[in-house]
Amino acid sequence: MAPAIHLEHIGKRYGRLTALRDVSLDVDTGEIFGFLGLNGAGKTTTIRILLDLVRPTTGRATVFGADCQARSLDVRARVGYLPGEPGFYGDMTGEATLDLLGRLGGSRVDPAWRRELVDRLELAASDLRRRIREYSTGMKRKLGIVQAFQADPPLLVLDEPTEGLDPLMQEVFYELVAEMRRRGRTIFMSSHVLPEVERVCDRIGLLRDGELVLLATVQEVRGLAGRRIRVSFHADVAAPPSFPPDCEVIGVQPRLWDLRVRGTMAPIVALVTGLPVADLDVQMPHLEEILRTYYAVERSS
Amino acid sequence: MIRATLVLVRHSLTRVRVVAIAMAAVLVGFQFLLTQVAVVLDRNQAFGPLATMLPDFMREMAGPSMLAFMSFSGIVALGFFHPIVLSSLLGLAIAIGTEPAGEVETRFDDLTLTRPVPRAAVIARTVVVMAIVVGGILTLMALGSWTGLTCCTPATVQRPSIGLLRSLALGLGAIVWCWGGLALAAASAVRRRAVAAGLTGIAALVAYLVDYLGRVWDPLSHVSPLSPFHYFEPMTLITGAPLNLTHLGILFGTGLAGAIAAHVIFGRRDL
Repeated sequence: MAPAIHLEHIGKRYGRLTALRDVSLDVDTGEIFGFLGLNGAGKTTTIRILLDLVRPTTGRATVFGADCQARSLDVRARVGYLPGEPGFYGDMTGEATLDLLGRLGGSRVDPAWRRELVDRLELAASDLRRRIREYSTGMKRKLGIVQAFQADPPLLVLDEPTEGLDPLMQEVFYELVAEMRRRGRTIFMSSHVLPEVERVCDRIGLLRDGELVLLATVQEVRGLAGRRIRVSFHADVAAPPSFPPDCEVIGVQPRLWDLRVRGTMAPIVALVTGLPVADLDVQMPHLEEILRTYYAVERSS
Repeated sequence: MIRATLVLVRHSLTRVRVVAIAMAAVLVGFQFLLTQVAVVLDRNQAFGPLATMLPDFMREMAGPSMLAFMSFSGIVALGFFHPIVLSSLLGLAIAIGTEPAGEVETRFDDLTLTRPVPRAAVIARTVVVMAIVVGGILTLMALGSWTGLTCCTPATVQRPSIGLLRSLALGLGAIVWCWGGLALAAASAVRRRAVAAGLTGIAALVAYLVDYLGRVWDPLSHVSPLSPFHYFEPMTLITGAPLNLTHLGILFGTGLAGAIAAHVIFGRRDL
């Protein structure tokens, strides 16, 4: 079966500026993929290539096996898109906007499903009858989510989906994404909110200066940093002459070892067995800590 | 394609309806009033004295069309070539023609063109909306004149024929469509509506002045044919000349060329 998204050596130049350089990746059907990078890294350009709003200089992109340029209409019929800044007309009501975009979609909008989305995102019927110029940022974002999800497409492309949502609505959105996963939908989302990506996504791709520098599962990325282990003792303990190879020593004191372990914990467990261990604290690394190092490289370069 | 175009047409007509209806009301009223002005002038036998009040050089410059204008038919027809009416309709056509650039600028395209909507539908929508709005207003203008002529004009006056009103409306429609098509071509290539509208507006002003100077000053007469306004000749229609189909074809063809260019450019560009 063709992957939901296939990017093959995608490059995009604007005059002398190279926005994307040789980006290749696959996103499987049913996967939730997080697309990360600093502003200007090329995330939105990649998304716009998928939707045929921008044409690549090199390479090709497919969605469910269909070429994004040659069979653009077929592709777009199967995609729901939430732009980073939805260009709603302020003088239209929310309801009229949803109706218009529903009529332009590839498949019929189920009114019951749309009502459910509206209810879950707490958009009242009276809100939908108001002009969008009266909406808050969060309400516009909710309307954007409804218009992207309302046709229940097999692929959702979401650009910064929770930007402007309050924490309660973010939770509602995460539940919605989880439901989409259960229903076998594929989600390709760009985000700056790393805890959100860590919580929601199966895999991530990191763009830096137009290049894909990291493509891995969230678990694999966590493994890159290793777990931090703090072993405290009842009594003074002499440090061994050497620690296991996958173990980085952060600090060693007579009653406290501070270590970072990449890979299995077994060698450390074996090392402390028989010692007067008072406590063993294992901290899982956060995506944010790991990716910050990637971002730092970009900033310095 | 047709379904998407129709959905977009309905959406755009909804957005433009207030301006279009207001403009139609003003212009229809103006057409009706002109017939009544002509009735009053005719009743007072004022056409002759009005013509003699003009300085000789102006009469010589304008030629026989000036005498034709100072007649019942000429006054009734004024609404089809008065500079304010002309510039209002050109402004409306440019506003409609630049909608694609406006949708790129406001990112409305990110919502519509990420659905199974061909880019050609955006251009086709604009052409259809322009045809409906401009065609509708011109039809209503002609209807305003016709109403004034049939209901409130003495039977003794020599009324302009329906054919003349139709020819005047067609000529005005052709020049408006021409600039609308050019506005559409500009809008298909830029990211800001104001840029497209500004470029087309300035081009129209320059073309108008070039044609005007070419008509009144011999050394510039050879550049006058470069201006679309050269092919818009309401005064010759008033003198009784038939509608010049070649000129009409040039204006409609220029507008069509603009629309085709827009289709090609918009289909290939990055949004």
